[in-house]
Amino acid sequence: MVKLTIPAPELMYSGHSACPGCAPALAMRLMLKGLGPRTIVSVPACCWTVVATPYPTTALGVAMLDNPIESTGASISGLRAAADALGLTDVHILGFAGDGGTADIGLQALSGMLERRTNAIYAMYDNEAYMNTGVQRSGATPLGAWTTTTPVGDGARGKAEPKKDVMGIVLAHRPVYAATVNPSFPEDFVRKVEKAAALRGPRFFHIFTPCPPGWRYPSDQTIEIGRKATDCGIFPLYEVEEGRYHVTRKGGSLRPVTEYFQAQGRFSHLVPEDLARVQAQVNADWQRLLRLESGT
Amino acid sequence: MGATIEIRFHGRGGQGAVVASELLAQAAFLDGKRPQSFPFFGVERRGAPVTAYTRIDDHPLGIRTSITTPDIVVVLEPSLLRTQPVTDGLKEDGLLLVNTRNPAQELMIPVPARRAVVDANQIAVAHGLGSLTMPIVNTAVLGALVAASGVVSMTALDQAIEEFVPARQAENRAAAEDGYHAVRMVEANMPFTPPVPRAVGPTPQLPEGPMATLSSELIHTAAWRTLRPVVHLEHCTRCNFCWKFCPDDAFQFDEKGYPVVRYEYCKGCGICVVECPPRVIEMVEEV
Repeated sequence: MVKLTIPAPELMYSGHSACPGCAPALAMRLMLKGLGPRTIVSVPACCWTVVATPYPTTALGVAMLDNPIESTGASISGLRAAADALGLTDVHILGFAGDGGTADIGLQALSGMLERRTNAIYAMYDNEAYMNTGVQRSGATPLGAWTTTTPVGDGARGKAEPKKDVMGIVLAHRPVYAATVNPSFPEDFVRKVEKAAALRGPRFFHIFTPCPPGWRYPSDQTIEIGRKATDCGIFPLYEVEEGRYHVTRKGGSLRPVTEYFQAQGRFSHLVPEDLARVQAQVNADWQRLLRLESGT
Repeated sequence: MGATIEIRFHGRGGQGAVVASELLAQAAFLDGKRPQSFPFFGVERRGAPVTAYTRIDDHPLGIRTSITTPDIVVVLEPSLLRTQPVTDGLKEDGLLLVNTRNPAQELMIPVPARRAVVDANQIAVAHGLGSLTMPIVNTAVLGALVAASGVVSMTALDQAIEEFVPARQAENRAAAEDGYHAVRMVEANMPFTPPVPRAVGPTPQLPEGPMATLSSELIHTAAWRTLRPVVHLEHCTRCNFCWKFCPDDAFQFDEKGYPVVRYEYCKGCGICVVECPPRVIEMVEEV
């Protein structure tokens, strides 16, 4: 038989309505492979609420609660309390929200869930804009990116502000476990989910999920762009367990960021000076992460 | 019905159906008419069914509702004929315009309306509009609509594209011109073969609450793709990268561990082709 590097059981079904080449679809598939069937998922308004539920069907082999965009954190606190009251203490509670529903609209509910020490997992799948409604900028949209609300032309040059540091916000709450994962590295992804599943208390995942229509690249490049994001240092893979940092992928020196930026239409207006500034920032962030890991 | 002409567009996200309805309204305005245009509010997904409406009148329109008894139905993607009720309410003396390359197969639709076809995918690809997997067909289809219906003048459509299409105006104008000449009327009384009902098991008993209880595997997403992956097994190393990276879980394995594509679910994204280490998967055109 085939030797598999990630678990075989599928808890996400085919026939869902994600776009071709959708990384958030892969993210859910991998997340449920790591958590297993004893899981309840809470999904707010975001791409996934549409992906999963062409009524009366569901694309998930586990129970799913559909909730308003601002309430993922609150909903998983409630689900946990209800599950515990019913004696279902072995059930994993997973909040699975987009970047808009996490970094912007659901931020207070996320903060509340972390502060209450809810025994649940919150995963933000980050496609770096409000994609379900047609590519409007979010707090997680990176500097310079084109979106429909940060246009390019007539003096406008994409988003003028840098990306919100959601991991930093989450880590300030001192969660039990927080990690960055990327569907381009499925073994690392599932290993971290399995590790988090064995812990108790508030846990957080930042999932990097490229979006072919929103980022303006061909659908077959999703994995390749995710790989470039990590290998260029745009999205480093690391985990923080009880405050201790561990970088889980260090491929020697970083690739130049131009490889990542040039692969996407949303950055096609950027000039070499822009990319040089991004490169300097990425280098500084990478050195900072390595210092956090070494504790110096 | 008065002088109002009602047109309903059906397409998939990314084909430009909403822009087509707007361009048609702009062209009608340039012709001196009083048009309106608006999309059905739905989800914005590449590949998902999209509906948009245009009304054209000589006088200002008071009505703001969606169109249920259209004079003209424009279908930008032929697979929608099988999966969406696109011809609902189409008037007996109306017009059905379909973008297809295979009219004999695609137009077995029991409507009395006149039918027109155009191969707008080929025109769009020839002018470099969109990609091979997702051609942007709206302007070619609008040219065909003008030829088949005369709802607006070609001069006005040409000017509307020049003024309101944000990019590649020259290519879009040329595509509209080609669509105008490529449209064909097809026989309304061609033999009708009832569609074969899809095997989905027993009729689902829907629960009363908003509870989804059926697997999404009832929904076949094959019609989303224009290219299909073919695995050349003689060079396959059984590394399972195709399975591992598939967002639609459209791969399974045979008893020897070789990949088998579940074509009823593959959306044709092409990730498996790019990620296959020995490069033994290729995309071939759907026929």
